[in-house]
Amino acid sequence: MEMPAAAPGTPPVLQLVGICKYFPGVIANEDVSLDVRPGEILALLGENGAGKSTLMNVVTGIYQPDAGEMILDGYGTEFASPQEAIRAGVGMVHQHFKLVPAFTVAENIHLGWSETPRNASPAVLEARTQALSEQFGFPVNPSARVEDLSAGEQQRVEILRVLARRARLLILDEPTAVLTPAEARDLFSALRAFRAGGNAVIIISHKLDEVMEISDRVTILRGGRNVGTWETRECSPRMLAATMVGREIVPQDMRARAEGAAPRGAAPELSLRSVSVRDERGIETLSDVTLDVFGGEILGIAGVAGNGQRELTEVLTGLLSPEQGEVLLGGRTAAPGADAFARSGVGHIPQDRLHSALAPSLGTTDNMALREYRAPPIGGSGLFRADAALALAREIAGVAEVRIPDFGAPVRNLSGGNQQRLVARREMRIASRVLVAAYPSRGLDIGAIATMHRYFAELRDKGVAIVLVSEDLEELLNLSDRIGVMFHGRLMATLDAEDADIERIGLLMGGRNMGEDAASGGGVA
Amino acid sequence: MTRFQRFPTAPARLVLAWRAAALVAAALIVGVLLALSGRDVFVLGELVLHSTVGSRFGLEDLALFMTPLVLTGAAVTVTSRIGLWNIGGEGQFYLGAIGAAGVGLYLPGPQIVVLPLMALAAIACGMAWIIVPTLARAYAGVSEIITTLLLNFVAGLLTYWLATGPWRDRVTGALASSGRISDAIPELWGVVHWGFPLSLAIAAGLAAIMTWTGWGYEVRVSGANPGAARYAGMPMRGRVIAVMLLSGALAALAGMFEVAGTVHRLQGGMADNFGYLGIVVAVLARRSCLAVIPAALLMALILDAGIVLQTQQLAATAVLAITGLVLLLIAIGDELAHYRPVAPASSTRSGVAA
Ligand SMILES: Nc1ncnc2c1ncn2[C@@H]1O[C@H](COP(=O)(O)OP(=O)(O)OP(=O)(O)O)[C@@H](O)[C@H]1O
Ligand SMILES: [Mg+2]
Repeated sequence: MEMPAAAPGTPPVLQLVGICKYFPGVIANEDVSLDVRPGEILALLGENGAGKSTLMNVVTGIYQPDAGEMILDGYGTEFASPQEAIRAGVGMVHQHFKLVPAFTVAENIHLGWSETPRNASPAVLEARTQALSEQFGFPVNPSARVEDLSAGEQQRVEILRVLARRARLLILDEPTAVLTPAEARDLFSALRAFRAGGNAVIIISHKLDEVMEISDRVTILRGGRNVGTWETRECSPRMLAATMVGREIVPQDMRARAEGAAPRGAAPELSLRSVSVRDERGIETLSDVTLDVFGGEILGIAGVAGNGQRELTEVLTGLLSPEQGEVLLGGRTAAPGADAFARSGVGHIPQDRLHSALAPSLGTTDNMALREYRAPPIGGSGLFRADAALALAREIAGVAEVRIPDFGAPVRNLSGGNQQRLVARREMRIASRVLVAAYPSRGLDIGAIATMHRYFAELRDKGVAIVLVSEDLEELLNLSDRIGVMFHGRLMATLDAEDADIERIGLLMGGRNMGEDAASGGGVA
Repeated sequence: MTRFQRFPTAPARLVLAWRAAALVAAALIVGVLLALSGRDVFVLGELVLHSTVGSRFGLEDLALFMTPLVLTGAAVTVTSRIGLWNIGGEGQFYLGAIGAAGVGLYLPGPQIVVLPLMALAAIACGMAWIIVPTLARAYAGVSEIITTLLLNFVAGLLTYWLATGPWRDRVTGALASSGRISDAIPELWGVVHWGFPLSLAIAAGLAAIMTWTGWGYEVRVSGANPGAARYAGMPMRGRVIAVMLLSGALAALAGMFEVAGTVHRLQGGMADNFGYLGIVVAVLARRSCLAVIPAALLMALILDAGIVLQTQQLAATAVLAITGLVLLLIAIGDELAHYRPVAPASSTRSGVAA
């Protein structure tokens, strides 16, 4: 694909000069300069907490820079609010969506928009939304409620909302973290079309393959500073990774067991027997699933998101009691309830950390106590010992390698990846028997992913049973001993990782089951 | 050039400083307005000071006002910690008063037995009054704001009916009032009864429970994010029910203290907006049970000063307007406390690095 070069002398769409942004005790951005040209896609890379989201929040007027200048189309500008930014053609889709869940797609698109017709009926808004959707090539269902949409669909609404306001610079903060591969492909082709119209995109991502595929140039932040900008075609994923982290990341084969590692258990730690679950509308979201997880093994769960993975993880961690079937913990019927599961050593890294694993408005101390507040040293005789909770939080932050300036400050002030690191470590601590991890590497930088994988392998070698739900087949193949594939709430098959390959898993993920798989399907025979 | 930036959290000392400034500003504005309408501001000011904090009677009055305000303020604060709003403090106050008066009027016995029975009856009635909103909230997700509010009117009418009907005073024939209740909370200092230190101790005890117990922690997490509470296997429903019942009991206790400590009768309209003012106190206290005490003190000062001004021929509506002005300025002060100066870049750099 040819580079849509801008005519020489065309000013950059956006130029940042010496931007600084500080929070109490944190340098989020220091002296960052970069520019974005018309007709290009610029990737912004950096480790967790490098200051990517903060920089983009400065660009879109959520934060004011403490120093530095912002030049839009050759003129110095300041945005007092995101509304001003979007009026000037700069729009952002955030790492955590900001739609109103109870509103319809059409209502969300028209919310807080000067061009929304007054007193318009829902039908009018929906017709306008339909027209916008066709104009920009982002298919949405205008009358659907946002809370009923998948992550990918919600994201399309967010992007359409920005494009409808005639954005010329679109900023996407980790847009593919929650997308299926197919949804990501659709997004990329839409972005290319947007670029072809002479517009510009800044995309933040931790997935280097995607960065190589979609971007024209790459800017890397480290510790809040810009360490350089490169033409993408001069880069390789390895070089990008090394520049980001400041050291080489050597891919390791995690399936190799360490010397003296605990062997795979003889009896399963956690089992499901013909488990079925229905949602409120009575639709079966998990159908007749039977599986066993043994100590000392990693069971990967592959599948396109929304095929029952959430329900599976909730059943495995005691959050959801199955309507039919049985959950066995160590061979015995498990006492119901998430608390009982956690107490018997089942850790859970859920897929939406902000909604369920953390209380965003509480401090790090309170959040890290979530699993251990019932027992001494924090709990015991009905008490909550804040000093012990603080000590625990310090310990977890230490092993997670997250620097926390103030343990009482709301945990939502931490960067997305740092929140994920804290949750992962908190759960690994209590996972003495089983760890259920749903998309644990979402939002983590590659260095942190490598560290987490190593830690999973160590847990496995200690004899813990690990269930790893992921969409990333390479991650699954690199870590798992066996791989189960979910489709429409069913476990299509469980394959030994040795004789599993990407194609075969891909077919099963699409619901195609070859004759011989049916025989070995439905879990461990 | 120094910029001001809004931070998501407001440190307590900034809140205090801005509130003090707000009070000064309110005093100045009211002073100027009164002076413009031809009043002698200094005489009025002195009178207000004298009859609130400057004299023994003033202080006694303040303590009497504070007692119910601390309890109704705490009632709203405990629910706000779990993310709910009990707007029904007024109704639960009445029910507490009814329960206490019922025992006091019709259950003769030694004071040492009757007073605790009055308190228990009040608590039981207050809890009964909030049980329907509580269960509707816990099991059907019905907003407690509306249900608790509506029950206030029922409780107010019920009190009038009792005080003018079956329980009316047949001795002196006082209007809308029951007979006199002989059992009274012993007095401690002038007219100030033991209910005052007791209410302070209750607020302090609640603060300790909220901060230092596992139960308080669960309430905190459930209020901050119900999803996280479910994830951690906390008994959310049980906590919601317990907190709502506790809230009803606190407001009812305020009613009991009023009956047995101050009024010694059941009177129509005796809640006198203490239930609603508890909401204001809770907002001022910003979810802290301990801060309910100074917040109630401030509210009591405002009320007391208002009454003094009314005796000086100031219209009741003017007093209401002054109250509103004070609260408005405090709200503005609270918002301003979120802003902190961000020094120019060069000096911040060294500051952050240090
Ligand atoms: N509102 C805030 N208050 C205090 N500190 C903040 C705030 N927002 C961000 N920070 C801090 O600024 C630093 C940069 O955070 P930022 O969210 O920009 O990182 P990021 O590069 O987007 O990381 P990630 O890849 O994990 O999303 C972090 O240390 C974070 O804790
Ligand atoms: Mg980020």
